[in-house]
Amino acid sequence: MNYGPLVFLAAFFALSASWFGFVLTPQIQLGRQQQETNIVNTAEMYPQARPGMAHQGLEVYRANNCAACHSQQVGQTGVVVDVVLTETGTNLEAVASVLKNVEPNVTTAGLAGGLPKTVLHGVKVEEAEILVKAFKTVGAKAETHLVPLGPDLARSWGSRRTVAQDYIFDYPVMLGNSRVGPDLANVATRLPDASWQLMHLYAPRSVVSDSAMPSYRFLFETRKIQGQPSPEALKLTGDFAPAAGFEVVPKPEASELVAYLLSLHSDTPLFEAPMSAPIAPKPTVSAK
Amino acid sequence: MSQPPQSSTPPAAASATQGATVPVWLIVLMGMLLYVGGLYFDDHGGWFNPQVYGPYRSYAELEPYQPKGEGGLAAQGRAVYGKTCIACHQATGLGAPGQFPPLAGSDWVNEAEPGRMIRAVLNGLQGPITVHGQNFNNVMVPWNSLSDEDIAAVITYVRGNKEWGNNASAVTPEQVKTVRAKIKAHPTAFTPDELLKISPAE
Repeated sequence: MNYGPLVFLAAFFALSASWFGFVLTPQIQLGRQQQETNIVNTAEMYPQARPGMAHQGLEVYRANNCAACHSQQVGQTGVVVDVVLTETGTNLEAVASVLKNVEPNVTTAGLAGGLPKTVLHGVKVEEAEILVKAFKTVGAKAETHLVPLGPDLARSWGSRRTVAQDYIFDYPVMLGNSRVGPDLANVATRLPDASWQLMHLYAPRSVVSDSAMPSYRFLFETRKIQGQPSPEALKLTGDFAPAAGFEVVPKPEASELVAYLLSLHSDTPLFEAPMSAPIAPKPTVSAK
Repeated sequence: MSQPPQSSTPPAAASATQGATVPVWLIVLMGMLLYVGGLYFDDHGGWFNPQVYGPYRSYAELEPYQPKGEGGLAAQGRAVYGKTCIACHQATGLGAPGQFPPLAGSDWVNEAEPGRMIRAVLNGLQGPITVHGQNFNNVMVPWNSLSDEDIAAVITYVRGNKEWGNNASAVTPEQVKTVRAKIKAHPTAFTPDELLKISPAE
């Protein structure tokens, strides 16, 4: 018996089903995303296209296969709400009586100082809004603050989850699926110092003693100092310093890669990933 | 393949049909798996809404988490207005006499239901229109490239702008989405006469 047509139909059905599932459906769902407004600072559109250097840096990132060890996607497992008291108004007694519902041993004297004060931690949005409304009726002002939760966020890899919106100007998207190194979706927020990034690329262990990252010395040039040392030269010390009379300067690729890294910050509050306010950049230089 | 020279059904085929009976327990198991899968899909699928990501399970669950007060829909609408509408309708909402009709105090804007205004923003307008007793005949460009939120925001901002003497209800992104689906068959700009035939509540 000739099974040809049956085999053909089965293969056709299997392939078209996966095409519908993996190509067409995501295209219908996410294919026409555009810049959208930041829900906290509504004058700002997000995302902005990466500047030229950073755009080139994406190619360097891709060429050196950074995505093999670094992901650029932050997960989120939950969200809770804090209630922050910002103004007490004049009727401290009434405010304290409202606050007694959530904080039994509150005193009117303790209310006066230390504003804004977080009065309720980690509740559902409905409960938080009831309290905010109660404060409003007694003339005080309170705000709800969203706190996204999850193991990635606990590692300070971001302040909210990443969504498709974060990547609309990237091609290809360097999502990555292996985390030999830390996630880089918010590396610019975490480590905004360009000279630190350059040192780390040249000799990872000069700044992070237990780093597992290979050094990318071929992105740098070691050359004899002619006259004045270059202002771009890396400030290396100890074992990592070049021989006396020499200096290490970044090649264009290194500068582009750093420009790209410093353009990675998926921390704008969006409709689909709401957040109260972006976390202020941390100036500390550490290997999280 | 070679066929045995018989005209009746070969006995081998008959036995194969008998052997192909699916056991009842397998059908029950498949049904149960399908049911559990359906429940999981319902709980985690977000109904294919591109705005819904985990940990939020539905649009309705996501909405209460949007910032309130200063940063609400109307404030977002002010930003959208500043980028799109302001070129013709002006920062004052008064438009330009003879060219662009005013939004401030306009009956078209202050209708109890926003159906007509959503249509005008999505597909644009063309043809003669009368606002405040003044006649205008110009073309309004379509803004269907804006997201449902942005359109809802800008309409909410314009309708609720008390400085302009407007005081009409807010518009939700869901309403814009519904209208957008309804007017798929009408890709061109609306004329004011067409809009008047449509009930504003639709």
